[in-house]
Amino acid sequence: MYAVLLLPEFRLQAARRFRDLDAAAPVAVVAEDGKICACSAAAAAGGVRAGMPGVQGLARCPALQLWPRAGAAEQAVQQALLELADSLSPEIEATGEGCCTLDLRRSGTADWNAWCAAVLARFTALELHGKVGIAPNPDLAFLAARRADSFLVVQAPPSFLAQLAIAEIDPPPHLHALLRDWGVHTLGQFTSLPRGDLADRLGPEMDRLWQRASGQTERLLRLVRPAEEFRESCDFEHALETVEPLLFLLRRFLDQLTLRLATAHRVAARMVLTLPLDDGTAHEHVFSVPAPTGDAEVLLRILHTHLADLRLAAHPAGLRLQIDPVCPDHQQLRFFESPLRDPQRFGETLARLSALVGVENVGVVELADSHRPDAFRLVAPQFHHRANPAGEPAADLAVGLPLRRYRPPLSAAVRVLRQAPAEVSSAAVSGRVVARLGPYRASGAWWESEQWSMEEWDVEIESRGLFRLHQEPSGWFIDGCYDTGLR
Amino acid sequence: MLPANFQPSRATDDDPSLLTGRLAALRALLHEKFPAGAVRESGVLRTGCAALDEAEGGLRQGAVTELVGPSSAGALFLAVALRVLAREQAFGALVEAGNSFHPDAAGSSALARLLWVRCGEPRAALKAVDLLLHDGNLRLLVLDLQLTPERELRRIPASTWHRFQRVVETTGMAFVILTPQPMIAGAKTRMAVRQRWTLAAMRERRGALLESWEVQVFARRQFSALADGARQSA
Repeated sequence: MYAVLLLPEFRLQAARRFRDLDAAAPVAVVAEDGKICACSAAAAAGGVRAGMPGVQGLARCPALQLWPRAGAAEQAVQQALLELADSLSPEIEATGEGCCTLDLRRSGTADWNAWCAAVLARFTALELHGKVGIAPNPDLAFLAARRADSFLVVQAPPSFLAQLAIAEIDPPPHLHALLRDWGVHTLGQFTSLPRGDLADRLGPEMDRLWQRASGQTERLLRLVRPAEEFRESCDFEHALETVEPLLFLLRRFLDQLTLRLATAHRVAARMVLTLPLDDGTAHEHVFSVPAPTGDAEVLLRILHTHLADLRLAAHPAGLRLQIDPVCPDHQQLRFFESPLRDPQRFGETLARLSALVGVENVGVVELADSHRPDAFRLVAPQFHHRANPAGEPAADLAVGLPLRRYRPPLSAAVRVLRQAPAEVSSAAVSGRVVARLGPYRASGAWWESEQWSMEEWDVEIESRGLFRLHQEPSGWFIDGCYDTGLR
Repeated sequence: MLPANFQPSRATDDDPSLLTGRLAALRALLHEKFPAGAVRESGVLRTGCAALDEAEGGLRQGAVTELVGPSSAGALFLAVALRVLAREQAFGALVEAGNSFHPDAAGSSALARLLWVRCGEPRAALKAVDLLLHDGNLRLLVLDLQLTPERELRRIPASTWHRFQRVVETTGMAFVILTPQPMIAGAKTRMAVRQRWTLAAMRERRGALLESWEVQVFARRQFSALADGARQSA
């Protein structure tokens, strides 16, 4: 059997997604050329038709609401449909906008009604209105989906087709007109005519139409594999002034996206939040999720931490959220002990810290393989993965007072006497050097364009404290302090 | 909500024993109603630094400790913190209002146990501390405010420290705040360092420096008594 998943009024569904509007309101979607491309049942009842200009639609139905096409939302809905289909069968075809065909011949399903009910429940969870058609071939399944109220399983194709109007199989206009002139209106009447005689008289085009009308066409599906794209977007009618509606919408986005992630057996590793502003610019922030998760609550708290302190130059006029997925990391914790009490919560805290101060400012130190001073980077901690290695008291190996670094180093004017610093003058520290240790020379990367060399001194500046200076070709700098007096 | 049999009365300054008794009853009721918020039995984290361990046995868990001193005191304490994390095989965090921690100073095995949060300003640092305290996964948390300008430190309301003290009591975490001058009203322990170093210290082993580190440790009751004494004499 084949199944077709169909989203009726696809463009309208995409445009009204995440908008809490009266379902009975007359609504139409206007394409870029100003013509109506989809309309609700209420609008159709008011005389609005696809293809007519928006102004004409308003003239026929004064209460009509006109919305522009939501291209990004349509992509998201189509992607959600493909992901849903991909979770049901490995062989799927993106038949068209809001239409997907599945090959279920090897699924082994016996109860098609239960199968359809489960699929419809998943449509509902995705906040979509979908229909399902099941039939022995793809074209018949499409006809079944189009005719279904919610789902339709075609067990006996001849009796199903017999009652359908010829227009249902989209015949060429001239053949449709000819059949109408003959008084042939249903597929049953059409297929009762002898196929060979029709083909002899009207050619191969009529033969193919007869074959479709009899439900005997067989075709190969053009198989696709849905890309792993998890994004949702919404453009606001009016720019937002407070954060609450934004959080409300984000929650709905996350509910949908995490549902889709779960369908694809993925979790969120990174989020990209984009807020198009009403002055034409956009605010974008990338959130790294240190402990990838599919929990919408956790992801929302990460976004909330960032938005709580956000000050923008203009009001948000839209919202885009993209999630980069990864495979979930399964790790069995140790039987008697765990390095952290609650690794999941720690992952959430890390993500919220990243949202607060930036991902580049949170992490554990990973020293670079270089003798260059202050060469390190911060990486995501792996506390929950880390077994308890035997730790040595590291400070025992160190010598001298630890340094407090000035980042960036302070530029200084240094008077040199007998090849050693004798007096330091800078915006922060000035004074006579009363004692010094050095020079400590270092250089590296001489084989690259970023070669470096420097000469370091530890100095005691009179009544100010202990400092580290360094000299490089561009001048003298104060790297940091070892000890300064109390304030 | 308090139970129906709880009878509030107008305790006045005239009968402190009555007030104390009712406070104890109220605490008992709250602990019974909200066991998750109950104060945990606190222990200590031994530091290996004689001056610290002799006074209090180490760093008090479930309590705020304030270390007051020059910038060298804070840097040395961070070396102590790394030793504690390595010895206890625990994880900790350093939240800096600035960006002055120098990671070359210790071995990478201990550094891998320290989460470093560079905040750039005290307001963000306090929020980061709030998040880590409520997380409750780490054994040691250090907030470094030593290089923060005094006028910014004065803007932090005292209630912040009391709130942190209430939260840390429920976690069993050792929370140390490095400050240039005494300012943490709710600290259970205060460590004061006035030692000045010379260049000769740069030739000594770090372990030897820590052994000769002169730290004065005051428990809460001591610096309360000192403050009371100062008030009476005034």
